[in-house]
Amino acid sequence: MKTIFVIATLACGFVFNASAAEGGAAPGKSAEELSKPCAACHGADGNGTNAQYPRLAGQYHDYLARALQEYKTGERQNAIMQGFVKTLSEADIQELANYYQQMPGKLDDLAHHEQGSEK
Amino acid sequence: MPRLVPARFFALMLPALCFAAPALADDAKGDPKVGHALVYTCGGCHGVTGYRNAYPNYRVPRIAGQNYDYLVNALTEYKKGERAHPTMRAQGESLSDQDIKNIAAYLSSINP
Repeated sequence: MKTIFVIATLACGFVFNASAAEGGAAPGKSAEELSKPCAACHGADGNGTNAQYPRLAGQYHDYLARALQEYKTGERQNAIMQGFVKTLSEADIQELANYYQQMPGKLDDLAHHEQGSEK
Repeated sequence: MPRLVPARFFALMLPALCFAAPALADDAKGDPKVGHALVYTCGGCHGVTGYRNAYPNYRVPRIAGQNYDYLVNALTEYKKGERAHPTMRAQGESLSDQDIKNIAAYLSSINP
């Protein structure tokens, strides 16, 4: 009898865990997953070749996060971006921003590219 | 079999000529050399590695190597007041459309 009770308790635990993981509020979507919709315009490597869209690879993460937050509040207007940020939580935004900052790309500070300051 | 008379040949070529004109107009990209001199002002913030915007606090973006069309659009949006940043709005207002194209041409040409 005792054994059955233990098994039943364990089984309940498993069911509970599984349903929690599948729930909408499940935390921690990976950056790879989150970035899938971004790749269509910004490229899978954050260096999209369509000049209309900004390069993201190597951009400062706090600037990227700020841009996404501004799209979310409507402070920055862009029909395409507005649609995408709706589903992002603050944690998702930070995850994505960090993900793109560490990608290698062309972006640089202007420090060495002004007249008289070239390397 | 009917021969292609000159008038008919011209009529066939007309659409091709119409397409050629806008294609040429689109090519009026900015001049990176002129842009190089203009970005002197941008360096005050974008030229300082890790320079931070205050209230709210975040680093100003890396703009060297950014895409041409995006830069033209961003600066034009600041100029028109469609993007809100006060400093960038003031910068945008001081630039002509041609200045914006020249700056974008230079910045997008940078390949570190």
